[in-house]
Amino acid sequence: MAIAAAVLTLGTALAHHSTAEFDYAKEVTIKGIVKEVQWTNPHSFIQLLVDGQPGEKIQWSVEIGSPTLNINLGWRKDSVKPGDGVTMNLAPARNGKPYGTLRVLTFADGKQLNGVAAQVRGSAAPPSGGKK
Amino acid sequence: MQQRSSRNWTVLILPGLLICIAGMAACIPGATVGAAAAGPDSLTGIWVPNAAPQQLVTVDGSLPPLNEAAAKVYAERRRLRENGDTSFDQTTWCAGPGMPRILTMPYPFEIRRDGDFLAFIHGWYRWHRVVDLAGGAVDPPLPLTMGFPVGHWESDTLVIRTVGLIDATVLDAAGMPHSEQMTLTERLRVLDDGRLEDRLRVEDPDTFTKAWESVLYFHRDSAARVTDDVCPDRIADGKPAVLGTRSPAASPLQKDAPDGVPSNTAAPAPRLSGMWEPKTFGFMVPEAPLSKAGRDMVDRGAAAMRDGKIMHTAWTSCRPGAISTMTMPREKILLLQSPEELTILFEMPRMIRRVRMNSTHPNNLESSYVGDSVGHWDGNTLVVDTLGFNGYAELDARGQPTSPRLHTVERMTPAADGSSLDIEVTITDPEYYDRPFTIKRSWKRSAARHPFEYDCMENPRAEDFENAYYVRDRYRPTCMRVEGEGLALSKVVCRR
Repeated sequence: MAIAAAVLTLGTALAHHSTAEFDYAKEVTIKGIVKEVQWTNPHSFIQLLVDGQPGEKIQWSVEIGSPTLNINLGWRKDSVKPGDGVTMNLAPARNGKPYGTLRVLTFADGKQLNGVAAQVRGSAAPPSGGKK
Repeated sequence: MQQRSSRNWTVLILPGLLICIAGMAACIPGATVGAAAAGPDSLTGIWVPNAAPQQLVTVDGSLPPLNEAAAKVYAERRRLRENGDTSFDQTTWCAGPGMPRILTMPYPFEIRRDGDFLAFIHGWYRWHRVVDLAGGAVDPPLPLTMGFPVGHWESDTLVIRTVGLIDATVLDAAGMPHSEQMTLTERLRVLDDGRLEDRLRVEDPDTFTKAWESVLYFHRDSAARVTDDVCPDRIADGKPAVLGTRSPAASPLQKDAPDGVPSNTAAPAPRLSGMWEPKTFGFMVPEAPLSKAGRDMVDRGAAAMRDGKIMHTAWTSCRPGAISTMTMPREKILLLQSPEELTILFEMPRMIRRVRMNSTHPNNLESSYVGDSVGHWDGNTLVVDTLGFNGYAELDARGQPTSPRLHTVERMTPAADGSSLDIEVTITDPEYYDRPFTIKRSWKRSAARHPFEYDCMENPRAEDFENAYYVRDRYRPTCMRVEGEGLALSKVVCRR
């Protein structure tokens, strides 16, 4: 039942997504402090503050999935909290902005959580479809 | 402030605070008064709030017993609100109001019951909540805007206990906070004077120092209707997301629509009632015979996608039409059946469709996203004919368009054992398709007692709209989340 739900929600999430927005053939890894968690539809996001030039913080917007999808991936709403130090491996946006979709989030103690893009790892792009 | 001093109540309006002290339904224009009827259907019908309190108070008129931290949050939100900033309230950008907030909004709602499902169909942006009257245990997998309500009857009173309420919502328009530990218990009954009383009990140790109670009243109004309200269109028209006064009673569509009448066929109609889930789901309708005009539109969208743009349809702009529920079955649906009407509640996309049985379309059909549906039984098949679409809907994620000339005929046939439901939809739209065509979708019975919930407007990220192609101009965003600078949190800003 859980597997069926996960498949259903993954299909929903992928179909909601544009192939254009993220480059699934690339990987970027960033490390920083969680500023904000948006546990929301249609997509959930984490805002991560990452060190840039000395004295500079770069704010990354990282899509992590959606509430239903993430529950099926083992997340809870409070799995990640503001102030947490985390490392995020993601597929970056094609527009070069500090924006991407999460493959894997790793906590300081080594525990990991998958994002929606973890399930399209290695492929150039998910099936085509409209945004959302 | 609500203050119960005697059997006689009155309505007062003070600055920023609407005080309901009224019991006199007759003081409300259009109100009808009738004796209370006991039984499971005593609550059914359309109800209009006697007052739409901006601030919830306890039954003795006091401020609810907020703890110190929550009181600070509430005071700050009231200060912001006085300065015109309601960014703490997600209804500002058309996201879900939650409970009991939606009961305090100046919109009518309808209560319908079928078997052990009881539904509140609200007049604000297609929200509905489904109460499980079978009384099953609840273990919410994640909190939802409307939570997981379970009800039972105690004499003439319906008791609804709701847990699993998401804390992004506020309890009242002034921004009263709550946590996800909140348990809301409602006691609903029809009083002798015909009013509906909803006595609320809030238990939330993370927010309040003790449990507290409030009470809301509603009356029947023969002119009131629950219409297909689409909040983003209101913002696009420069109006507030939540109207400050009672919404219009009825559109010409509802006013002039002939009443459905029970069929006089001898055989009882098959039962479609209950929760269903799609056997398969999909995002494409490959068999559509696009006309040149239709093909041109689809090609424009495909070209935009190839150029790296995000394509926005009615679905992605949170304004989906009924046609998308026919072509793209998604998540569970609840069917409520009576001899006069089949009501279909959809969660993704959130929508309510009403099928008037053995009726006809009105002459002065007003177009809408859901159209006007009439139905009749053809043996074991329910035939649903729908006209009056507004042309703002696509068949699928490729953006195959529809026009106001769209006409659908659905043939809904349950399996002999009632375990599945096949729906064959014949689509006619000479504006965009060369000929009528038929698609088939199948559903199966669901054991679920609570519907899925999808709140499309929760997080309108700016990135979604930066490099976008809009199938229709109407789909342009009304509100966008703006990233906070430095340590400042993000904020959703709506256009005016």
